Amino acid sequence: MENKKLSRYVDELAARVNGVVEESLGVLVLKVQAPYIIEVLRGAKEFPFVPCDFLHDLCGVDCGDHFEVVYQLSSLHGPQLLRVKAIVDRENPVIDSATPVWGGANYLEREAYDMFGIKFKGHPNLKRIYMWDDFEGYPLRKDYVTEPIEVRNIVRTRIEGE
Amino acid sequence: MSIDKTQELVLNMGPQHPSMHGLFRMVVHLEGETVTHIDPKLGYLHRGMEKLAESRTYSQFIPYTDRLDYLASPHNNWAYVQAVEKLMGVEIPERAEYLRIIFGELARIASHQVCIASTALDMAGWSAWSYAFRDRERICDMYEMTAGSRLTVNIMRIGGMSAEPPEEFWPALQSFLDDTPEMLEEYYGIFFGNEIAMGRLKNVGILTKEMAENLSITGPVLRASGVDFDVRKAEPYSIYDRFDFKVPVRTGCDSYDRTIIRMDEIVESIKIIKQAVRDIPGGPIMAKVPKVIKPPVGEVYHRVENPKGELGFYIVSDGTTKPSRLRIRPATFINLQMLPIVAKGWKIQDVVAIFATLDAVLGEVDK
Repeated sequence: MENKKLSRYVDELAARVNGVVEESLGVLVLKVQAPYIIEVLRGAKEFPFVPCDFLHDLCGVDCGDHFEVVYQLSSLHGPQLLRVKAIVDRENPVIDSATPVWGGANYLEREAYDMFGIKFKGHPNLKRIYMWDDFEGYPLRKDYVTEPIEVRNIVRTRIEGE
Repeated sequence: MSIDKTQELVLNMGPQHPSMHGLFRMVVHLEGETVTHIDPKLGYLHRGMEKLAESRTYSQFIPYTDRLDYLASPHNNWAYVQAVEKLMGVEIPERAEYLRIIFGELARIASHQVCIASTALDMAGWSAWSYAFRDRERICDMYEMTAGSRLTVNIMRIGGMSAEPPEEFWPALQSFLDDTPEMLEEYYGIFFGNEIAMGRLKNVGILTKEMAENLSITGPVLRASGVDFDVRKAEPYSIYDRFDFKVPVRTGCDSYDRTIIRMDEIVESIKIIKQAVRDIPGGPIMAKVPKVIKPPVGEVYHRVENPKGELGFYIVSDGTTKPSRLRIRPATFINLQMLPIVAKGWKIQDVVAIFATLDAVLGEVDK
C-alpha cells in the first residue's frame, strides 16, 4: 500500500525531471542526470503522506564511463525507502551540493569528494576529509593506481607552516 | 567604552588525548574558555576499508568488518553478512537467527557499558569506569568461549554462524542476565547518582529534534532528542518482529539523556536476550551456501541498528566473486557532524562531555 503510493509519486517526479524508475530488491531507484538533483531531493522530501525526508546515506560509485552519486533516502516517520542516483560526468564531475536541503550531507559530500573527486557546487567547506590535503589522486576511482611500496616508504616532507 | 576581549586561542586536542576515544583530533578555537569554533580533523585511523573490499572476496571481507566498530563487532558482521544474504537470497536456519540476536544484543550491552564507563572517566570518575568494565569482561568471556577472541569476534558467516556456543556458555549467560539488575543499580548509584557528574551533563549540549533530523543523526543520540525511531521496529530485520521490547525515548536533548538512554537500552536488550534464550530451537547453524560466494548482478542496501546508530552496507555486485563497490555507512561518522554545531558557545570542559556522549569509535569514524 505504502509502496504503491510512493511509486506513484516517484513516477510523477521522474516524469518531471526525465528520470528513469527501476526497482531493486523491493526498493525504488530513481536515476536522474546531475543538474536535476536538487529538484529531485526537494521533491522527494515533500512527497505528501510518504515523505522521504531523511538523508540516510550519500556515496559515490565509479561506473566506468561515468560516476554516480547515490542518495539513500528514508523517513523517521514511516517505512518508505528511496534510492536516488545522479549521473555525473567523468571528465567534469560537478554536481550541486545537497547541504542546503540536509545539513547532514556535509561530511558525506566531503568524503565523496575525497574518494572520487566529485565537486559539490555550493558546499560550505569542500576539503579532503580522510586523506591529507596535498594527497594526489582519488583512491576509490577504478583507474587509481596504488603506489608501489618503494614510493610509499619515502617520508613525506613537511610543508612550511603546516 | 571598549570591551576588553581576550585573544583567540587555538587549542589542538588529540590525536593522543585521554578523552578523544582513539585517534580523533580537533582544533578548538577559544575565547577565554568559551568555544567559538571547532574543526574536527579525521583520518588518523583511515585504513581504506572500502578500497580493500574491492580486492577481496565476499567471505574474506568479514574479518575486516570487525575492525569497524570494534566495541560491538558482532553487529558489524551482522550488517555485512545480511546484506550479502539479501543480495543472494539466502535463507538462514532458525537457530542461527536466534544466536545472532543473542550475540548482537550482548554486543549492544557491552558497547553501552563502555560508553557509560568512558563518559564517567571523562567526567573524572575513575571508580564508575571500573565497575562497568568489570561487568563487560563477562561478555568478553562469553565471546571467548564461543569464538576464541574477545574483541574482534568474527562470529558470523554468510549463511549462518561460525560456531555453536559451548555447554558452559548457557549457564554463564544465565548468571549474567540474573546479575544485571544489580549491575545497573550500581551504575545508577555510582555515576548517575553523582552530583558533580550530573552537573556536568545536565542541560549541556542541546541537540534539538529538528537539528538531529537535519543532520542525519541516528541511534541513541537521535532517540535522546525525542525521536521515536529504531530500525529494529521500523524495518525489522532478522527476527526482531518476534520479540516484545520497547524503544526507549527521552526528550531532554542534553548530554545527560544521551548517556542515560543507554541504560534504558540495556534493560530492553536483557529482555530480548531472555526471550531468545527461552525460544531458541535446535538444529543446524549454517545454511547450505555455495563454496564460492558469487552473488548475482545487482545492488543492495541493508541497514541495522548498531549500538551507536544505524550501520548500513551498500553493495554493488557485478556478478564476480569480489564486490564492485562496497560502501559502509558508519553511524558515528555522521553523528559526529553535530559536534561543531552543538558545542559552539559552551566551555572547553563541556566539549569533552558532548563528545563523550556521542560514543564515537574511531575505527568506525575513520573506516
